[in-house]
Amino acid sequence: MTLTLKNVSVTTEKDGVILDNISFEFKPGRIYILIGRTTSGKTSLMRAIAGLLPIDSGQITMNGEDFEDKPIWERDVAVVYQQFINYPNKSVLQNVEFPLLRKGLKKSEAREVALASINKVGLGDYLDRKPAQLSGGQQQRVALARSLSRQSHIMLLDEPLMNLDYKLREQLRVEFKEIFNAQKDAVTIYATTEPPEALILGAEILVMHEGRIIQYGSPTEVYEQPQSTTVARVISDPPMSILPVSISAGEIRFGDGYSQPIPAKMKNFKEGHYQVGIRANDIVIAKSGGEKGTISLVEVSGSETLVYVDTPAGEVVLQMEGIHDVKVGESISIELPGNRLFLFETNGALCVSPDSAGE
Amino acid sequence: MKKGYPRFFLLPGLLLLIAIIIFPLLFTIRVTFSSWNVSQSGLNFIGGENWGEMVRDTRYWSSLLRLFYLSFLTVAIQYVLGFAIALFAWKGIAARRFYRVLWLIPMMTTPSLMAIIWRSIFTEDIGALNGLLSRVGLDPVNWLTESGPANIAITVVEVWQWTPFMFLILLAGLLSLPKEPFMAAAIDGASAWKTFARVTFPMMAPISIGAIMIRLIDASKIFDSVFTMTRGGPGNATETPAAYIFQRSLQDFQIAYGSTLALMYLILAILTLTIIGKVFARLSKPRGI
Amino acid sequence: MYKVLKATFITIWSLFVLFPIMWAITTSFKPESAVVNGATFIPFLEYQPSLIGWKAILPGPDSLTNLLTPTLNSFIVTAGATAISLIFGSLAAYGLSRFTYGWKNYSNADIIFFFVSQRIMPPVVLAIPFFLLLKELKLLDTHLGLILVLTSGLMPIVVWLMVDFFNALPREIDEMAMLEGCNPIQAFFRTILPLSKPGLTVAGMFCVIFGWNDIFFALTLTATKVLTLPVAVIALNGTVTPYWILAASTVFSIIPLVGLAFVIERFLSRGNLGGAVR
Repeated sequence: MTLTLKNVSVTTEKDGVILDNISFEFKPGRIYILIGRTTSGKTSLMRAIAGLLPIDSGQITMNGEDFEDKPIWERDVAVVYQQFINYPNKSVLQNVEFPLLRKGLKKSEAREVALASINKVGLGDYLDRKPAQLSGGQQQRVALARSLSRQSHIMLLDEPLMNLDYKLREQLRVEFKEIFNAQKDAVTIYATTEPPEALILGAEILVMHEGRIIQYGSPTEVYEQPQSTTVARVISDPPMSILPVSISAGEIRFGDGYSQPIPAKMKNFKEGHYQVGIRANDIVIAKSGGEKGTISLVEVSGSETLVYVDTPAGEVVLQMEGIHDVKVGESISIELPGNRLFLFETNGALCVSPDSAGE
Repeated sequence: MKKGYPRFFLLPGLLLLIAIIIFPLLFTIRVTFSSWNVSQSGLNFIGGENWGEMVRDTRYWSSLLRLFYLSFLTVAIQYVLGFAIALFAWKGIAARRFYRVLWLIPMMTTPSLMAIIWRSIFTEDIGALNGLLSRVGLDPVNWLTESGPANIAITVVEVWQWTPFMFLILLAGLLSLPKEPFMAAAIDGASAWKTFARVTFPMMAPISIGAIMIRLIDASKIFDSVFTMTRGGPGNATETPAAYIFQRSLQDFQIAYGSTLALMYLILAILTLTIIGKVFARLSKPRGI
Repeated sequence: MYKVLKATFITIWSLFVLFPIMWAITTSFKPESAVVNGATFIPFLEYQPSLIGWKAILPGPDSLTNLLTPTLNSFIVTAGATAISLIFGSLAAYGLSRFTYGWKNYSNADIIFFFVSQRIMPPVVLAIPFFLLLKELKLLDTHLGLILVLTSGLMPIVVWLMVDFFNALPREIDEMAMLEGCNPIQAFFRTILPLSKPGLTVAGMFCVIFGWNDIFFALTLTATKVLTLPVAVIALNGTVTPYWILAASTVFSIIPLVGLAFVIERFLSRGNLGGAVR
């Protein structure tokens, strides 16, 4: 069952263009990760596929059959929302049975499938509870069980882990991988704003921005070869620092200040203005020299410290292992190792990416 | 989505309502151009005579003016008192649930029947109110036969009957308010008054507007209390348009003229209420309804 | 200081609320002499309670009037008009909450205004044409005729309350139902309706209150067969019936609805009304 989108566009009065000429072929048995900022069109794309958002132009087909004339309830698309949507008046078991009975399964069959699905998400002990009597994570598992048990050909998950706590997210991410891989001939599309999630689920990644798919590839491809500064920003967490530079006389100069010898891979580029990008964990604190700046913000997350530095060339984010005692307002010198730099045109297109990670 | 489904939901109700209302409305419009009355029934055509007579009918216009201030006054009092008791019944008093039930009761009673009871309270020789006044050594008041007191009596009855409606809507609104803004105000150390002025009242604005509009709509129809207690009197001192029209069309049987008055009344009511609704919508725009 | 003011206010308001009702109840137990010779208040001290008023309205040898048939009529008419208004009104409200309707320049807001504006219609405007219409349809002095007419006043309340109620229910629930194989009608009946009990209860209570308490239409559109309770009492009033009988019949006819105050309070205190009037 191949799901094909051809030149799909949606414009609304309120939000302007929300899907901009999207064409893509989703193949069965694969997991596609949609990644992009909050308003990049991920949700709209899913709603268009499900039939919840009417498309203005273009075509959506399933195995060559036009979806346009099929109302939502005949499309057989399973959706998991970021809000935990279950039927509040039905018990866990009834929630999961509902779509199965709608599909025409016999009562006994429906019960059997529902029970299997509920057990798979580990809620076997909560069959008679109402959703409101469950925790957020459990509610999301019910929603998941409901969608999984349907064996739909298309499964859409819209930031399903968004509203859950950190620990549960980690746990569900791992489970998702197994669950999705078991869905042999379904197209699974999973939207997220979080790069780690995209990388962990390790499927094919579609980067969305302003209603368009701006890059498509394997996680390593997208991570190591972001085709533009936009992709680089979206796919890096913490965000990649992007600074304007100029190349001249064998040197690369950041803004108007600090310069360093040009890395070997960039030697062939003609002199002029460019942008460089560097990931937070590649930046090091300079022992001498380097770009000077003032610390504007310090965030400790887990076992890492994120330091935001205002430099003459622009804001730079660096990540240090461990907890460090750095204070806002202090000055700091940083070094941007040449072999870790991405070089982009001023319009954002990628020129050179560093050698693959793993040093 | 196919058009059939949306229509399935809306049309039955809409068509039923139109079916019920369309004939009376068209008939009313047509009959105003006839001279249907006791001696002449049927739809003849006499042009705009009724409309001309209406323009000169000072009793009608003064009843409209009276309705205007009577409805605004009573709804304003209902709103202030209803909000006050809603705040008390919301939190901070013992036996809250008892008071909630008690304060809802007047709304449940039949206005036309309670008006009879009120008449027996206000009636001058054997009524409860003058009885109480005489016991504390005050002179009796002509509640139903003197213009000023009669209007006060009508106002009291309207306030008694309908403040509970305001109370119910506003209390339900208060109970559904989110808790966070109040916590924030408490953390900031805001006084009770400041919390009310900066948090409670603004958050209640949309629901207040809804409640006031509904009450104004119903107050524009004030009839039961006036008709039962004073019959519009003394003279015409308490007469509302509904009472006057009732007399002209259903007692004097001047159907054509009564309908003319009624139609004008309807047009004015819709116009006024629409304007008020728009003003309210604009006033509350920044917060959004 | 504030506390004293508050307590005073609450006391005065409660006394004000209670006074007419207490007056009605005490008057209903007064003998003639306790009424016509000036106001009396305290039973046993100022007058000997008597059942004369109640005997006049309840079946028995001293019965002046029969209020039981009117009571039954009131039940039928109120229940009928409430049911029709709830069914058609909530369907329309759901449609207006979930779909966009357009006809020329008119939008959903205008349609909602059309519904609500029916409440602006003063009954006195409609009384005569309704009379003629029902006469033509042979529905004068029938339950159905009165039910239909009352529906025009009650459906607007249902639409007004239920549009807001449905707006407050997450759209994702109906979307989910549709994604899982329900067409919009099935989605409404299988997933939204079961969630709408609080809203429907509140709307239904308003319908019952306004339907039961209607006097104008019942007065003009029914004669003898479908006399409703308030009309029957008003009819007593018209024949210069003594106050003790009027008081007894008034108390008799408001009792059924006063019970509703308890129902509403329970809903309020459980927080179910909140979402229903937003």
